[in-house]
Amino acid sequence: MPAQVTYQRLLGADQEPQNWLTYSGRYSGWRYSALNQINTGNASRLAMQWTFQVADLGQFETTPLVVDGVLYGTGQNDRAFALDARTGRAIWRYQRNLPDKLQPCCGMVNRGFAILGNKLFMATLDAHLIALDTRTGNLLWDVKAADSNAAYAFTVAPLVVKNEVIVGISGGEYGVRGFVDAYDADTGRRRWRFETVPGPGQPGHETWAGDSWKTGGAPAWVTGSYDPELNLVYWPTGNPSPSGYGGARGGDNLYSNSMLALDADSGKLKWYFQFTPHDLYDYDATQVPVLLDEEWNGRPRKLLLQANRNGFFYVLDRSNGKFLQASAFGKVTWATGISPDGRPLLNSNLVPSPEGNRVCPGALGLTNWFSPSYSPDTRLFYVATSDECDIFTSAPQTYREGHDFLGSVYVPDPIARPTGALKALDPSTGAEKWEFKYFSNPNGGALSTAGELVFAGDSDGNFIALDARTGRDLWNMQLGAAIYSTAITYQLDGKQYVIIPAGSALFAFALADQP
Amino acid sequence: MINAKQMSLVLTVLALVLAARSQEKAVTNPVAGNPRAIHEGASLFRANCSPCHGLNAKGGGRGPDLTAGRWVHGSTDADLFRTVTRGVPGTEMPANAFDDSEIWAILAYVRSLAPPKSEAVSGDPAKGKKIFWETAGCSTCHMVQGRGGVLGPDLSRVGEARSADYLIDSIRQPSKELSTGMLDPNNHYGLPLVYDTVTVVTADGHKIMGVARNEDTFSIQLIDINQHLQFFLKKNLREVTHERKSLMPAYSADTLKPAELQDLVAYLEGLRAE
Repeated sequence: MPAQVTYQRLLGADQEPQNWLTYSGRYSGWRYSALNQINTGNASRLAMQWTFQVADLGQFETTPLVVDGVLYGTGQNDRAFALDARTGRAIWRYQRNLPDKLQPCCGMVNRGFAILGNKLFMATLDAHLIALDTRTGNLLWDVKAADSNAAYAFTVAPLVVKNEVIVGISGGEYGVRGFVDAYDADTGRRRWRFETVPGPGQPGHETWAGDSWKTGGAPAWVTGSYDPELNLVYWPTGNPSPSGYGGARGGDNLYSNSMLALDADSGKLKWYFQFTPHDLYDYDATQVPVLLDEEWNGRPRKLLLQANRNGFFYVLDRSNGKFLQASAFGKVTWATGISPDGRPLLNSNLVPSPEGNRVCPGALGLTNWFSPSYSPDTRLFYVATSDECDIFTSAPQTYREGHDFLGSVYVPDPIARPTGALKALDPSTGAEKWEFKYFSNPNGGALSTAGELVFAGDSDGNFIALDARTGRDLWNMQLGAAIYSTAITYQLDGKQYVIIPAGSALFAFALADQP
Repeated sequence: MINAKQMSLVLTVLALVLAARSQEKAVTNPVAGNPRAIHEGASLFRANCSPCHGLNAKGGGRGPDLTAGRWVHGSTDADLFRTVTRGVPGTEMPANAFDDSEIWAILAYVRSLAPPKSEAVSGDPAKGKKIFWETAGCSTCHMVQGRGGVLGPDLSRVGEARSADYLIDSIRQPSKELSTGMLDPNNHYGLPLVYDTVTVVTADGHKIMGVARNEDTFSIQLIDINQHLQFFLKKNLREVTHERKSLMPAYSADTLKPAELQDLVAYLEGLRAE
């Protein structure tokens, strides 16, 4: 039997690079691996080792976990599986019996498991949290978090902290009222809930006109990061609802499009920072926060980095939420910059109108939910970007439970074809160090490694190894379908593997044996 | 064995089915012409239909013009209702899970879009056919029902999808509305630039012009002007240029007289699926 995954192991995940124990590989959200068997000198020898077919349709967005020789992944329609990580052979498969008529906005997707002890935790499309046995895939407990008839859904990979499982809800396109929850890992009992839209009497409630808070959105659908020293969970939130029409929700609409710093034990809000107040462009702040301890203006500081969907790269002090710096990392027109207090300086000509206004970045953002990466070797921050502007239109809409609540539609600018890039930013200045251009805008993020490589995938099915210092492409392979996820890596029996989901399959790569 | 209670249930169900069927025949839009419904329908249309059919329902990269008053899959309210709910098999039109009231609102909106003022197509389709296949050389690049070239779009069903005005524009100024390929906002996967002219320059300086059938970060697959497929890895090319214009020549009034244009459009308007 594999050793149990204890909280101590999760805390020290960076000390066991042969495994991949959490969504981002470690609590700091780096998606970086200290493995270096595959490196800039030999990446051209990468060769496929095995493939695993989920055999289902839709976007395959999982980040698998790998523990002591076993790979655990989730798939479309809440499928799940455990594989022999050497060979890709299935040990067990699971599929949740989902109700009909689920309509999550952006596909029947799931982004992965969290693990603790012999339990795997999966947040499901019908808004339940379940625990499966690592050895058999058997269901151990199942708790309902919210009502899927009202379009509450989970797509997020949970985060385990101590003995609790933290999840955030999806449904910002349907006027849900968002939350971040923590559940007891043993029993599934809910420990705390943080409502991302404050109710009457709670601070922040005044930032919502009338009853708009009831359908205010602010979902929390991407996995946060954790600082054990401060005992704070950093969890990002998404758009206010309806995303494209703000007429009925006057105010800043807290805590939409924010970074929340929550006490891991109580769920109490320590601080927040709102990136896009009163958003009209669907600029969810649901990008993985990257935690970094670094000198800032001559003194050591606990930083939080985020390349935000709104087009700005932010540096915050994560001990108190203080805004330190922001700079655009691509084409941005909705705001002319960020003021010294962190608020965007709006371009008031570009609010969505009934006829439509062309705004950059488009509704899917300059980047999106797919993971960024930070490498301590190159000291660079890697982020996949979309070069797309959209025509944003706007119209009032009446809320109806379980139905689209968008207030608008956006269509891609018909003049310029969307493209994208993988960019390397210097976190101390936000300056771009290099970019590798994609033909289409990407839906996959970045993994960096001590081999000084960045692994990335594009929407045209290419899996690519780049030189982490220069952005030069060293190797690529066509996998036959769009990549909607981000790579991970692990090592077994002396061999480093890199895993990427594409289409409906997992692909495993390693160095070809020397002839 | 079937007992009396079950039998009565069967009869009830049968009666309901028959009632539903007769209703389906007689059904009309209960909110036709209702300004509120049209307003609601416009919002729903924008959110759900415009990604394919265009912001103003005048047709997009994937869906036909809905303002032309041309309903290929049936023109009654019941037909349109069915088209929206069940989709059109064999096409990109999906089934949709709206409430009935929402569908009626969308249809009220779509019906409210008066057909564009178009000069009535006065041409002679038989003459237009001759122009297409012989004098103007359209068939060199365009295919109709299995005959013709492969460089331009297949026009076998163009009469269903495009208005006369659109066709006239496409003939007189083919680069005017060069499609850049629409994106599906939920899938968000770029379609290739199927109408754009691409020029590539090989390492030895050879220039090849054509239309890209596919392109990605590392490669491009062209049909060149001789209608041959050509595959390239970009690392072996000096240059890839998207011209942002159509390979199709603009047919001015000098090369295609107004009467001939009318004939040609009359022919194209008659190209439909049987």
